[in-house]
Amino acid sequence: MAKLVGIFAASHGPIIARDWETMPRDHRAKLTAAFDEIGRRLRACRPDLLVVVSPDHWVNFFINNLPAICIGIGDEHDGPPEPFMKKVYPHTMLKGHAAFGRHLLQTALDNDFDPTLSHRLTLDHGTCIPLWRIGVDPELPLVPILVNDLEAPMPSIRRCFAWGRLVRRAIESYPEPLRVAVLGTGGLSHSIGETTMGWIDETFDHACIDAFARGEERQLDAFLTEQLERTGNGAHEIRDWVIAHAAAGSTGFELIDYFPSPATLVGAGFASWQAPAA
Amino acid sequence: MTDYWLSKLFYDLQHDAQLVADYRADMAAVIERYRIKPDVRRALMDDDVAALSPLVNAYLLRFYFQVRGMPQDEFMARLHAMNAPGAPGEPEKVGHG
Repeated sequence: MAKLVGIFAASHGPIIARDWETMPRDHRAKLTAAFDEIGRRLRACRPDLLVVVSPDHWVNFFINNLPAICIGIGDEHDGPPEPFMKKVYPHTMLKGHAAFGRHLLQTALDNDFDPTLSHRLTLDHGTCIPLWRIGVDPELPLVPILVNDLEAPMPSIRRCFAWGRLVRRAIESYPEPLRVAVLGTGGLSHSIGETTMGWIDETFDHACIDAFARGEERQLDAFLTEQLERTGNGAHEIRDWVIAHAAAGSTGFELIDYFPSPATLVGAGFASWQAPAA
Repeated sequence: MTDYWLSKLFYDLQHDAQLVADYRADMAAVIERYRIKPDVRRALMDDDVAALSPLVNAYLLRFYFQVRGMPQDEFMARLHAMNAPGAPGEPEKVGHG
Protein backbone atom coordinates (compact mmCIF):
# COMPACT_ATOMS: atom_id res chain seq x y z
CA MET A 1 0.00 0.00 0.00
CA ALA A 2 1.06 3.58 -0.59
CA LYS A 3 1.94 5.79 2.30
CA LEU A 4 1.61 9.51 3.04
CA VAL A 5 5.15 10.54 3.93
CA GLY A 6 5.09 14.33 3.94
CA ILE A 7 2.65 17.24 3.93
CA PHE A 8 3.70 20.80 3.12
CA ALA A 9 2.33 24.22 2.19
CA ALA A 10 3.96 27.28 0.66
CA SER A 11 2.94 30.65 -0.68
CA HIS A 12 3.45 31.68 -4.26
CA GLY A 13 3.17 34.94 -6.17
CA PRO A 14 4.21 35.87 -9.69
CA ILE A 15 6.52 38.62 -8.46
CA ILE A 16 8.69 35.96 -6.80
CA ALA A 17 9.59 34.78 -10.28
CA ARG A 18 9.29 38.04 -12.21
CA ASP A 19 11.46 40.12 -9.89
CA TRP A 20 13.60 37.45 -8.24
CA GLU A 21 16.92 38.89 -9.37
CA THR A 22 16.05 42.46 -8.43
CA MET A 23 14.34 41.76 -5.12
CA PRO A 24 16.01 43.21 -2.00
CA ARG A 25 18.68 40.74 -0.93
CA ASP A 26 17.42 40.23 2.62
CA HIS A 27 13.92 39.59 1.33
CA ARG A 28 15.15 37.05 -1.16
CA ALA A 29 17.17 35.40 1.60
CA LYS A 30 14.07 34.95 3.79
CA LEU A 31 12.08 33.44 0.95
CA THR A 32 14.99 31.22 0.02
CA ALA A 33 15.44 29.97 3.57
CA ALA A 34 11.78 29.04 3.91
CA PHE A 35 11.51 27.33 0.53
CA ASP A 36 14.83 25.56 1.14
CA GLU A 37 13.61 24.20 4.45
CA ILE A 38 10.57 22.72 2.76
CA GLY A 39 12.88 21.29 0.11
CA ARG A 40 15.08 19.73 2.76
CA ARG A 41 12.10 18.13 4.49
CA LEU A 42 10.58 16.98 1.21
CA ARG A 43 13.79 15.28 0.11
CA ALA A 44 14.15 13.70 3.55
CA CYS A 45 10.82 11.93 3.14
CA ARG A 46 11.94 10.47 -0.22
CA PRO A 47 8.65 10.77 -2.11
CA ASP A 48 7.89 8.77 -5.26
CA LEU A 49 5.02 11.10 -6.09
CA LEU A 50 3.85 14.60 -5.19
CA VAL A 51 0.20 15.61 -5.05
CA VAL A 52 0.16 19.38 -5.62
CA VAL A 53 -2.95 21.32 -4.62
CA SER A 54 -3.06 24.72 -6.33
CA PRO A 55 -5.34 27.31 -7.84
CA ASP A 56 -5.63 27.81 -11.58
CA HIS A 57 -4.94 31.42 -12.57
CA TRP A 58 -7.20 31.43 -15.65
CA VAL A 59 -4.84 29.13 -17.51
CA ASN A 60 -6.84 25.91 -17.88
CA PHE A 61 -10.31 27.20 -17.17
CA PHE A 62 -12.56 30.16 -17.88
CA ILE A 63 -16.01 31.16 -16.65
CA ASN A 64 -17.67 29.20 -19.46
CA ASN A 65 -16.43 26.00 -17.82
CA LEU A 66 -15.01 26.41 -14.33
CA PRO A 67 -14.67 23.31 -12.18
CA ALA A 68 -14.58 23.49 -8.42
CA ILE A 69 -11.92 20.77 -8.38
CA CYS A 70 -10.01 19.19 -11.24
CA ILE A 71 -7.65 16.21 -10.93
CA GLY A 72 -4.81 15.83 -13.41
CA ILE A 73 -4.72 12.17 -14.39
CA GLY A 74 -2.31 12.35 -17.32
CA ASP A 75 1.19 10.95 -17.72
CA GLU A 76 2.37 14.44 -18.58
CA HIS A 77 1.41 18.01 -17.91
CA ASP A 78 2.56 21.22 -19.55
CA GLY A 79 4.92 23.56 -17.76
CA PRO A 80 4.07 27.14 -16.95
CA PRO A 81 2.90 29.35 -19.83
CA GLU A 82 3.74 32.70 -18.26
CA PRO A 83 6.75 34.36 -19.94
CA PHE A 84 8.19 35.33 -16.55
CA MET A 85 8.07 31.68 -15.47
CA LYS A 86 9.78 30.35 -18.58
CA LYS A 87 12.90 32.31 -17.67
CA VAL A 88 13.29 30.70 -14.25
CA TYR A 89 11.53 27.36 -14.69
CA PRO A 90 12.06 26.33 -18.30
CA HIS A 91 10.34 22.95 -18.06
CA THR A 92 7.87 22.60 -20.91
CA MET A 93 6.69 19.23 -19.69
CA LEU A 94 6.18 17.88 -16.18
CA LYS A 95 5.70 14.24 -15.36
CA GLY A 96 2.31 13.08 -14.19
CA HIS A 97 1.32 9.81 -12.58
CA ALA A 98 -1.67 8.50 -14.49
CA ALA A 99 -2.20 5.41 -12.35
CA PHE A 100 -2.41 7.27 -9.06
CA GLY A 101 -4.35 10.11 -10.69
CA ARG A 102 -6.97 7.66 -11.88
CA HIS A 103 -7.06 5.97 -8.50
CA LEU A 104 -7.61 9.33 -6.79
CA LEU A 105 -10.36 10.16 -9.28
CA GLN A 106 -12.05 6.78 -8.83
CA THR A 107 -11.78 7.03 -5.05
CA ALA A 108 -13.43 10.44 -5.26
CA LEU A 109 -16.28 9.18 -7.44
CA ASP A 110 -16.78 6.11 -5.24
CA ASN A 111 -17.15 8.44 -2.26
CA ASP A 112 -19.74 10.75 -3.86
CA PHE A 113 -17.33 13.49 -4.91
CA ASP A 114 -17.66 14.82 -8.45
CA PRO A 115 -14.38 16.31 -9.63
CA THR A 116 -13.58 17.02 -13.22
CA LEU A 117 -10.60 15.34 -14.80
CA SER A 118 -7.86 16.39 -17.15
CA HIS A 119 -5.46 14.21 -19.07
CA ARG A 120 -3.15 17.18 -19.56
CA LEU A 121 -3.13 20.29 -17.44
CA THR A 122 -1.00 23.37 -17.84
CA LEU A 123 0.62 24.11 -14.51
CA ASP A 124 0.98 27.82 -13.94
CA HIS A 125 3.06 29.84 -11.49
CA GLY A 126 0.82 28.78 -8.62
CA THR A 127 2.15 25.26 -8.91
CA CYS A 128 5.54 25.92 -10.44
CA ILE A 129 6.94 28.72 -8.25
CA PRO A 130 6.95 26.41 -5.22
CA LEU A 131 8.34 23.54 -7.33
CA TRP A 132 11.10 25.85 -8.59
CA ARG A 133 12.04 27.44 -5.28
CA ILE A 134 11.71 24.24 -3.24
CA GLY A 135 13.95 22.53 -5.78
CA VAL A 136 11.60 19.66 -6.53
CA ASP A 137 13.26 17.14 -8.82
CA PRO A 138 11.67 17.72 -12.26
CA GLU A 139 11.57 13.96 -12.67
CA LEU A 140 9.30 13.52 -9.64
CA PRO A 141 5.82 12.60 -10.92
CA LEU A 142 3.04 15.00 -9.96
CA VAL A 143 -0.68 14.58 -9.54
CA PRO A 144 -2.12 18.09 -9.67
CA ILE A 145 -5.37 18.99 -7.97
CA LEU A 146 -6.59 22.37 -9.17
CA VAL A 147 -9.04 24.12 -6.88
CA ASN A 148 -11.22 27.08 -7.78
CA ASP A 149 -9.75 29.62 -5.37
CA LEU A 150 -10.28 32.59 -7.70
CA GLU A 151 -13.88 33.03 -8.73
CA ALA A 152 -16.93 32.86 -6.49
CA PRO A 153 -18.72 30.69 -5.73
CA MET A 154 -15.84 28.55 -4.50
CA PRO A 155 -15.79 25.21 -2.70
CA SER A 156 -16.70 25.56 0.96
CA ILE A 157 -14.00 25.17 3.57
CA ARG A 158 -15.99 22.23 4.90
CA ARG A 159 -15.72 20.58 1.49
CA CYS A 160 -11.98 21.22 1.39
CA PHE A 161 -11.61 19.34 4.67
CA ALA A 162 -13.52 16.47 3.10
CA TRP A 163 -11.24 16.61 0.05
CA GLY A 164 -8.17 16.41 2.27
CA ARG A 165 -9.52 13.33 4.03
CA LEU A 166 -10.33 11.86 0.64
CA VAL A 167 -6.80 12.44 -0.65
CA ARG A 168 -5.49 10.63 2.42
CA ARG A 169 -7.91 7.74 1.84
CA ALA A 170 -6.83 7.48 -1.79
CA ILE A 171 -3.16 7.39 -0.84
CA GLU A 172 -3.66 4.74 1.80
CA SER A 173 -5.76 2.56 -0.47
CA TYR A 174 -3.42 2.67 -3.46
CA PRO A 175 -2.09 -0.86 -3.91
CA GLU A 176 1.50 -0.02 -4.90
CA PRO A 177 4.09 0.80 -2.23
CA LEU A 178 4.45 4.45 -3.23
CA ARG A 179 5.71 7.14 -0.91
CA VAL A 180 3.40 10.11 -1.49
CA ALA A 181 3.83 13.72 -0.38
CA VAL A 182 1.23 16.49 -0.54
CA LEU A 183 1.98 20.17 -1.20
CA GLY A 184 -0.64 22.89 -0.89
CA THR A 185 0.25 26.20 -2.50
CA GLY A 186 -0.98 29.77 -2.13
CA GLY A 187 -2.02 32.19 0.60
CA LEU A 188 -1.71 33.50 3.11
CA SER A 189 -3.41 36.90 2.85
CA HIS A 190 -2.99 39.01 -0.25
CA SER A 191 -5.17 41.27 -2.31
CA ILE A 192 -4.90 41.29 -6.10
CA GLY A 193 -6.70 43.56 -8.55
CA GLU A 194 -9.19 44.83 -6.00
CA THR A 195 -9.47 48.10 -4.14
CA THR A 196 -7.28 46.84 -1.31
CA MET A 197 -4.53 45.57 -3.64
CA GLY A 198 -1.24 45.32 -1.79
CA TRP A 199 -2.88 44.88 1.60
CA ILE A 200 -1.34 42.09 3.66
CA ASP A 201 -3.71 41.27 6.49
CA GLU A 202 -1.30 40.23 9.22
CA THR A 203 -4.09 39.92 11.78
CA PHE A 204 -5.81 37.37 9.58
CA ASP A 205 -2.56 35.57 8.84
CA HIS A 206 -1.56 35.16 12.49
CA ALA A 207 -5.05 34.04 13.47
CA CYS A 208 -5.04 31.61 10.57
CA ILE A 209 -1.70 30.16 11.60
CA ASP A 210 -2.95 29.80 15.18
CA ALA A 211 -6.05 28.01 13.95
CA PHE A 212 -3.99 25.55 11.90
CA ALA A 213 -1.72 24.97 14.88
CA ARG A 214 -4.71 24.20 17.11
CA GLY A 215 -5.85 21.92 14.32
CA GLU A 216 -9.47 21.53 15.30
CA GLU A 217 -11.51 21.41 12.11
CA ARG A 218 -14.74 23.05 13.23
CA GLN A 219 -12.93 26.08 14.64
CA LEU A 220 -10.74 26.43 11.55
CA ASP A 221 -13.79 26.02 9.30
CA ALA A 222 -15.76 28.67 11.21
CA PHE A 223 -12.82 31.06 11.27
CA LEU A 224 -12.03 30.78 7.57
CA THR A 225 -15.65 30.76 6.39
CA GLU A 226 -16.24 34.04 8.20
CA GLN A 227 -12.91 35.77 7.68
CA LEU A 228 -12.23 34.94 4.03
CA GLU A 229 -15.00 37.31 3.03
CA ARG A 230 -13.34 40.12 4.98
CA THR A 231 -9.76 39.90 3.83
CA GLY A 232 -8.01 40.09 0.46
CA ASN A 233 -9.07 37.81 -2.37
CA GLY A 234 -5.74 35.93 -2.51
CA ALA A 235 -6.41 34.45 0.90
CA HIS A 236 -8.98 32.18 -0.72
CA GLU A 237 -6.03 30.03 -1.73
CA ILE A 238 -5.94 28.90 1.88
CA ARG A 239 -8.31 26.17 0.67
CA ASP A 240 -5.20 24.42 -0.64
CA TRP A 241 -3.68 24.50 2.84
CA VAL A 242 -6.94 23.16 4.27
CA ILE A 243 -6.80 20.17 1.93
CA ALA A 244 -3.20 19.51 3.00
CA HIS A 245 -4.18 19.95 6.64
CA ALA A 246 -7.01 17.43 6.42
CA ALA A 247 -4.82 14.99 4.49
CA ALA A 248 -2.48 15.15 7.47
CA GLY A 249 -5.37 14.28 9.79
CA SER A 250 -5.82 17.91 10.90
CA THR A 251 -2.95 17.56 13.30
CA GLY A 252 0.80 18.03 13.42
CA PHE A 253 0.96 21.52 11.85
CA GLU A 254 4.33 23.20 12.11
CA LEU A 255 4.96 26.73 10.91
CA ILE A 256 8.27 26.98 9.10
CA ASP A 257 8.07 30.73 8.61
CA TYR A 258 5.67 33.58 8.14
CA PHE A 259 6.43 37.14 7.21
CA PRO A 260 4.58 39.86 5.38
CA SER A 261 6.22 40.25 2.00
CA PRO A 262 5.21 43.58 0.51
CA ALA A 263 7.77 43.13 -2.27
CA THR A 264 5.75 40.15 -3.53
CA LEU A 265 2.36 41.41 -2.26
CA VAL A 266 1.74 38.28 -0.16
CA GLY A 267 1.65 37.24 3.46
CA ALA A 268 4.32 34.62 2.91
CA GLY A 269 3.60 31.41 4.79
CA PHE A 270 5.46 28.12 4.84
CA ALA A 271 4.45 25.04 6.79
CA SER A 272 4.67 21.32 7.15
CA TRP A 273 2.61 18.74 8.96
CA GLN A 274 3.78 15.65 10.75
CA ALA A 275 3.31 12.62 8.53
CA PRO A 276 1.19 9.81 9.94
CA ALA A 277 3.06 7.15 11.88
CA ALA A 278 4.00 4.11 9.84
CA MET B 1 -21.87 41.72 -11.96
CA THR B 2 -19.66 39.68 -14.25
CA ASP B 3 -19.53 40.86 -17.86
CA TYR B 4 -18.95 37.71 -19.91
CA TRP B 5 -17.62 39.31 -23.09
CA LEU B 6 -15.29 41.66 -21.26
CA SER B 7 -14.01 38.68 -19.29
CA LYS B 8 -13.61 36.75 -22.54
CA LEU B 9 -11.56 39.54 -24.07
CA PHE B 10 -9.29 39.65 -21.03
CA TYR B 11 -8.98 35.86 -20.94
CA ASP B 12 -8.16 35.69 -24.64
CA LEU B 13 -5.49 38.36 -24.23
CA GLN B 14 -3.92 36.22 -21.52
CA HIS B 15 -3.74 33.27 -23.91
CA ASP B 16 -2.98 34.70 -27.32
CA ALA B 17 0.18 36.70 -27.98
CA GLN B 18 -1.01 37.62 -31.49
CA LEU B 19 -4.20 39.05 -30.04
CA VAL B 20 -2.10 41.13 -27.65
CA ALA B 21 -0.11 42.45 -30.59
CA ASP B 22 -3.32 43.21 -32.50
CA TYR B 23 -4.78 44.92 -29.44
CA ARG B 24 -1.74 47.09 -29.01
CA ALA B 25 -1.89 48.03 -32.68
CA ASP B 26 -5.63 48.73 -32.82
CA MET B 27 -7.67 48.37 -29.66
CA ALA B 28 -10.93 49.44 -31.21
CA ALA B 29 -10.71 46.83 -33.97
CA VAL B 30 -10.13 44.01 -31.48
CA ILE B 31 -12.93 45.21 -29.22
CA GLU B 32 -15.25 45.02 -32.23
CA ARG B 33 -14.68 41.26 -32.37
CA TYR B 34 -16.43 40.90 -28.98
CA ARG B 35 -19.96 41.74 -27.93
CA ILE B 36 -18.76 44.57 -25.74
CA LYS B 37 -21.40 47.06 -24.57
CA PRO B 38 -20.87 50.72 -25.54
CA ASP B 39 -20.22 51.92 -21.98
CA VAL B 40 -17.72 49.10 -21.41
CA ARG B 41 -16.03 49.93 -24.70
CA ARG B 42 -15.65 53.52 -23.52
CA ALA B 43 -14.14 52.32 -20.25
CA LEU B 44 -11.66 50.19 -22.17
CA MET B 45 -10.67 53.04 -24.46
CA ASP B 46 -10.26 55.33 -21.41
CA ASP B 47 -8.31 52.78 -19.31
CA ASP B 48 -10.99 53.33 -16.69
CA VAL B 49 -9.94 50.93 -13.92
CA ALA B 50 -12.83 51.92 -11.66
CA ALA B 51 -15.46 51.25 -14.31
CA LEU B 52 -14.01 47.92 -15.41
CA SER B 53 -13.21 46.60 -11.95
CA PRO B 54 -16.73 45.50 -10.95
CA LEU B 55 -17.22 43.65 -14.23
CA VAL B 56 -14.42 41.09 -14.26
CA ASN B 57 -12.44 38.82 -12.01
CA ALA B 58 -9.78 40.80 -10.19
CA TYR B 59 -6.93 38.62 -11.45
CA LEU B 60 -8.02 39.09 -15.06
CA LEU B 61 -8.24 42.84 -14.43
CA ARG B 62 -4.67 42.90 -13.14
CA PHE B 63 -3.42 40.96 -16.12
CA TYR B 64 -5.28 43.25 -18.55
CA PHE B 65 -3.66 46.39 -17.22
CA GLN B 66 -0.26 44.70 -17.45
CA VAL B 67 -1.01 44.17 -21.15
CA ARG B 68 -1.99 47.82 -21.35
CA GLY B 69 1.40 48.71 -19.90
CA MET B 70 0.04 50.45 -16.83
CA PRO B 71 2.71 50.43 -14.10
CA GLN B 72 1.70 48.43 -11.04
CA ASP B 73 1.92 51.47 -8.76
CA GLU B 74 -0.47 53.41 -10.97
CA PHE B 75 -2.86 50.46 -11.23
CA MET B 76 -2.89 50.10 -7.45
CA ALA B 77 -3.34 53.84 -6.96
CA ARG B 78 -6.37 53.82 -9.25
CA LEU B 79 -7.86 50.90 -7.35
CA HIS B 80 -7.16 52.55 -4.00
CA ALA B 81 -8.81 55.76 -5.22
CA MET B 82 -12.05 53.80 -5.46
CA ASN B 83 -12.04 53.64 -1.67
CA ALA B 84 -11.84 57.41 -1.36
CA PRO B 85 -14.87 59.24 0.05
CA GLY B 86 -17.28 60.02 -2.76
CA ALA B 87 -15.69 57.53 -5.14
CA PRO B 88 -17.96 55.17 -7.10
CA GLY B 89 -18.82 52.00 -5.21
CA GLU B 90 -16.03 49.48 -4.80
CA PRO B 91 -16.33 46.19 -6.67
CA GLU B 92 -18.29 43.40 -5.10
CA LYS B 93 -15.49 41.47 -3.39
CA VAL B 94 -17.45 38.26 -2.95
CA GLY B 95 -18.13 38.04 -6.66
CA HIS B 96 -14.54 38.25 -7.73
CA GLY B 97 -12.78 36.16 -5.09
